[in-house]
Amino acid sequence: MSKLSRRSALKGLVNGTAVTVALPFLDCFLGGNGTALASGAPIPVRFGTWFWGLGFTPGRGVNLAKTGKDLAFLEECQALVPYKDQLSYFSNFNTPLDGKATTVHYTGWVAARTGSVPNTGGDLPAPTIDVLVGDHFGAGTRFRSIDLSCTGNPRDSYTGRNTGSRNAGEVSPLGMYTKVFGPEFADPNAATFTPDPNVMVRQSVLSAVGEQRTDLVKQLGAADKARLDEYFTSVRQLEQRLELQLQPPPKAEACRIAKSPGEQPMGTELESVLVNHELMSNMLAMAVACNQTRVFNMLYSQALSSLHRRGEAFIHHTLTHEEPLDPKLGYQAEVAWYNLRSFEAMATFIKAFASIKEGDGTLLDNTLIYANSDTNFAKLHALDGIPVFLIGKAGGKVKTGYHIPGGGDPISRIGLTVQHAMGMEVDKWGTQSMQTSKPIAELLV
Amino acid sequence: MRRILLALTALTALSACGPKEPVVEAAPPAMRRLTEEQYRQVIADVFGDDIVIGGRFDPINRSNGLLAVGASSTAINGSAFERYDGLARSVASQVTDRANRDVLVPCKPADAAAADDACATTFFKNTGRLLYRRALTDAELKTQVALANAGATKLKDFYVGLSSSLSAMLVRPEFLFVTDTLEADPSKAGAFRLTPYAKAARVSFLLWNTTPDDALLTAAEKGDLNSSSGLKKQVDRMIASPRLAVGMRAFFNDMLAFDAFENLQKDPVIYPAFGLSAVELAREQILTTIIDQTVTTQGDYRNLFTTRKTVMSAPLGLVYRVPVSQPDGWVPYEFPEGDEHVGIQSFAGFVALFSHPGRSSATLRGKAVREILMCQKVPDPPSGVDFTLISDSHNPVYKTARERLKAHSTDPTCAGCHRIMDPIGLTLEHFDGAGQFRDDENGAAIDTSGELDGVAYTDAAGLGAALAKNAAVPACLVKRLYGYGTGRISTSAEKPILTYLEERFAKEGYRVPELLRDIALSDAFYQVAPAADAPKTASLEGGKP
Amino acid sequence: MMSRFLRTSLAVGVPLVAIAALVLPRALPAAAPAKKSLGFVITDYNLAGYETKYFDECPEGLAIGNDELWWKALSPQDRDKLTNSGLIEPVDPPRRPTAALRGPNKEDVCWNPTITKDPPLRVIKGKIGRGFNMDGTEDGKATANTCAHEKFTSPDGSTKVDNQMYRILGCIYGWRRGNYMEGHANRERRDSSQGIILVDVSDVDDVKNDPSVTVTYYSTVDLLQKDSGGGILPWASYRPSDTPHYGAKAKGKIVDGHVIAEPVDARLPLFGNNVTGDMIYKGLRLDLDLTKAAPDGSYSGLLAGYRDFENWWDYIRKIEFLTVTGQWSCPAIWVASQELADGYPDPKTGKCTAISEAMDITAVPAFVVPREARTAQAQGK
Repeated sequence: MSKLSRRSALKGLVNGTAVTVALPFLDCFLGGNGTALASGAPIPVRFGTWFWGLGFTPGRGVNLAKTGKDLAFLEECQALVPYKDQLSYFSNFNTPLDGKATTVHYTGWVAARTGSVPNTGGDLPAPTIDVLVGDHFGAGTRFRSIDLSCTGNPRDSYTGRNTGSRNAGEVSPLGMYTKVFGPEFADPNAATFTPDPNVMVRQSVLSAVGEQRTDLVKQLGAADKARLDEYFTSVRQLEQRLELQLQPPPKAEACRIAKSPGEQPMGTELESVLVNHELMSNMLAMAVACNQTRVFNMLYSQALSSLHRRGEAFIHHTLTHEEPLDPKLGYQAEVAWYNLRSFEAMATFIKAFASIKEGDGTLLDNTLIYANSDTNFAKLHALDGIPVFLIGKAGGKVKTGYHIPGGGDPISRIGLTVQHAMGMEVDKWGTQSMQTSKPIAELLV
Repeated sequence: MRRILLALTALTALSACGPKEPVVEAAPPAMRRLTEEQYRQVIADVFGDDIVIGGRFDPINRSNGLLAVGASSTAINGSAFERYDGLARSVASQVTDRANRDVLVPCKPADAAAADDACATTFFKNTGRLLYRRALTDAELKTQVALANAGATKLKDFYVGLSSSLSAMLVRPEFLFVTDTLEADPSKAGAFRLTPYAKAARVSFLLWNTTPDDALLTAAEKGDLNSSSGLKKQVDRMIASPRLAVGMRAFFNDMLAFDAFENLQKDPVIYPAFGLSAVELAREQILTTIIDQTVTTQGDYRNLFTTRKTVMSAPLGLVYRVPVSQPDGWVPYEFPEGDEHVGIQSFAGFVALFSHPGRSSATLRGKAVREILMCQKVPDPPSGVDFTLISDSHNPVYKTARERLKAHSTDPTCAGCHRIMDPIGLTLEHFDGAGQFRDDENGAAIDTSGELDGVAYTDAAGLGAALAKNAAVPACLVKRLYGYGTGRISTSAEKPILTYLEERFAKEGYRVPELLRDIALSDAFYQVAPAADAPKTASLEGGKP
Repeated sequence: MMSRFLRTSLAVGVPLVAIAALVLPRALPAAAPAKKSLGFVITDYNLAGYETKYFDECPEGLAIGNDELWWKALSPQDRDKLTNSGLIEPVDPPRRPTAALRGPNKEDVCWNPTITKDPPLRVIKGKIGRGFNMDGTEDGKATANTCAHEKFTSPDGSTKVDNQMYRILGCIYGWRRGNYMEGHANRERRDSSQGIILVDVSDVDDVKNDPSVTVTYYSTVDLLQKDSGGGILPWASYRPSDTPHYGAKAKGKIVDGHVIAEPVDARLPLFGNNVTGDMIYKGLRLDLDLTKAAPDGSYSGLLAGYRDFENWWDYIRKIEFLTVTGQWSCPAIWVASQELADGYPDPKTGKCTAISEAMDITAVPAFVVPREARTAQAQGK
């Protein structure tokens, strides 16, 4: 969006006439990456993440002996069996620390999502992969990204550009509904489209906000200047999305307006997490099908998962450390029970995307979901072999149904593969020992 | 003669008792994002407390123990900006709606269905000065009026236009960031000082946690804040105001990390008495106790850790198992002699906040006392620790937290940290995960003996007494208040001023309002110079009155 | 509408809002009384009975309900009309409002229980019962305050027990343990906080054994404090009602952790099955067992006394709409209770005017906030 167009929008308003700026809409929206709908219109490719905490019990998730097309799930991952052909699993990809100390339940997910190892807890050394993909997609949809957290706490959201710029999660199903499907939702399949004059005014307001220079910057240091730059970028992004709302949305065949979920109890009680996760997964899939966003993040449980059953003194995380091995079973039975719930939730999430028809396939076929945890064996905070799944076919850009053993390669290879699948011109990704220029070629089409 | 008098006043104000304030190196300017509490307070103060601020704020990361410091490094990214935009539109439309416009818009348009330059100008001149914490420049005022006129014309409603223009102001960086602006210091060639407006903001957010009021802005505009006596007059006025209690409440809420209460949950089956209302009341009980003892009655800060006096409400009575004579509201309460609820660190809010949803945690509590009350950093736990040793909570051998932690601490990589946390936390083990008193755990008697930096004690009252005598406790308050006021991570260069303030605090009987006065009247508090990596041609015009 | 700063800056001059600062107690309170109080709120009460699996205590079977008597008495024409020629069950309506209208001229038999004669009530014939020996006799012979009656033997065989209310109601389906009449009433009290009984045990020096304590029975004006699952929380504070006829004080003692209250004439609040009023007792007494608490923190005990007959009958007739649910006949219950009443004979007629009754109670610890303290609070002390 050029400076000129913002100015003209404001000018137009001052003169009492709205000036709509013709965007090369579909180009911008599709990022040159789409397949086609039955109608012949191209379908955008989407990217999102799904997170669950505390991994799984080694030897009870995926059969490590069966690789390639022989991907085979064990007890804790049984819920994924129906989607075996829709996803790939990555084992034995490592997180070399280059001498940095780990912050337990933090280093793992940061490395998996940024390709860099954090220096301390709370440090986000590089943008998370969803932010990079979102930058590549550009401001083509109403929302930059839809970020959701099922734990009731907006801080439980593993996405951000840097330490001072983390994206908070929406925690309430009703809040999410209102944000996406509330009064400002424009049905892409509606017969007529009338630009909302209030949106015109809003857009001109933001245009003015973005235009007005500030002299705050003059005595500040580089870090603060970067913060101001980010501020103005944020203003421009929102402004561009408003511009989009002033034009008829492209048709979305699969789009149906979701039903309001009503007020739901929130928090870390497993019962309410499961309800909220399912509600928000279904609404999210529909929001994606309705082209409200192309990027999304869903957090089912935190890395330091405090999910707990009503009446239980122990949270999932505490159990991973303190529950003794069941002498007969040979594993932590309660922990295994929680792990089962995690993969059932993952299956619920996949199902939400897989059950929406789009073009000749499903929404899942046009989506790529990067699902990861923070640790392999939570009891010992194992950082090597953090479980990662890639789910969906990314509009035909990736193959699915594989078990890819990493042989100790850095976990950043998976993130680089994602970027290639999204059509990003990136030759290497990650820092220090995590830097890689080797995507997993056998998965890329 | 007048000059001499002024100098004398300055002397009495700052150095009447004790050593002279040390000179400290000027720090770089800070650009602090308004915290959620500040945003709410400013909107309430400027537009009235019946303006509803719905929706969530993007969180600020805690840094150096404070959100107020994290605010200096937190950006406004896309997600945060979207939220601010939503808040701004909601606030602006309430300010200009039919219920409020007669009070909040000081003039009437000639025609309510059309633009009105004069009325919009009056509105933004007044409102803008409070929101930007300085008078608007002519250009800024023109832009606001133009926007209001454009909206009014487009939507044929003066107030809707006003509202959309106000919403623009509420998302501008001048409002959302409290920024230190500098000017040349006429008394020292080549040196800088904070502009009077920036000084006013610094004092106001320190003492009242809000935007400067008219009197303070006027003092800034008249140049009064550049003289010791002018500054002292304003600081004295603000410390004497009942608003100091509001400001200090915000400070302690930040220092004690009480924002975590917003996500605090207790398992309703295990702790049926600790329902949602108890969570909020438990926070309120501690803050009310603190404000009463440190601000209202100006008591010794250290008494907070030995106090038995507090307030009680019916839902908290269920948690503490004490009678409450009124079903609604608060009543004064004093824990009887012999009761282990002694000091705020033993109150339900504190021990429940630093616990698990269904269990107490000696480690979290010990860590909280060390980090929050004593400003000491407890290292993060190492990775790869095998907890199997202490794993079985139903183990007939390890019935109590003390026994389990003891077993755990035999691991040398863990022992070091646990040694500084556990003797504090285990003393609070008579309070379960919801702060309810208990004698035993799994049928075994709980041993509450412990030790703090060489002072041994047998119960929570002893811990309170040890905290009250520990020099790190008041020093921590000084450090946090100073950091809260400046919004920056404390550096070793600040050590001399902190030491100086600690000594004065001690001499003044550890009275918080006196400490605030010392900070707000110190030179160091306002020592700011352009950032080292700022452009060499640093302009001095920004924010000049 | 308060805009502190804007208005100030506009020179409207609105004073600052007062910021409420609670004033904490400045001086130590008066020395705490040496004697303690133990407060309780009664969360449930049920007729103390002794029920066997196969109803052995009711050899004639359970009581015949009003419906059965009504249906049997209907003419074939009426039956035909009420069932639409046999096509439907005689469901509500009209059964419920008309079934009690069984007098010769369709009078309501609960309000006129002598107007028709029903088969005798099937009452408890078993020998075992629970409660207190209230008349002091081993054989139930008449005394100055009681009429001759049959006594029960306690399950452990140690005590001869008076509990004629159990004898009357024990074979009625709806009154048996866990069924509607009392289960619903307990539910209603929990839901509404009406009719809640407080027990305050004061003057306690030793909670295990104390030869002299005072037991006071109150009603409360406050709402029950509950957890998220509806359980009644212990340690809540309750203020007694000001109604002067509550607050009966009994002498008592604590023996091996049991609070034993001596007989006292008392009114207790009544709310249950949509009826509001009082329960009037003579010689009300209590045995509350503090030696073991249930997992929810509650204690159990027995509360017993002689229930005033007129007061009780007023309740029975007011719940006539439940005769269908509970399965009893008002005329039969009237006759039986007239015969079985065992307390406080009328000096003129010699007929007993009260019925011995024992109830199982569940109580959770609570604070009974004394009226004096509340007054002091109200005066801003």
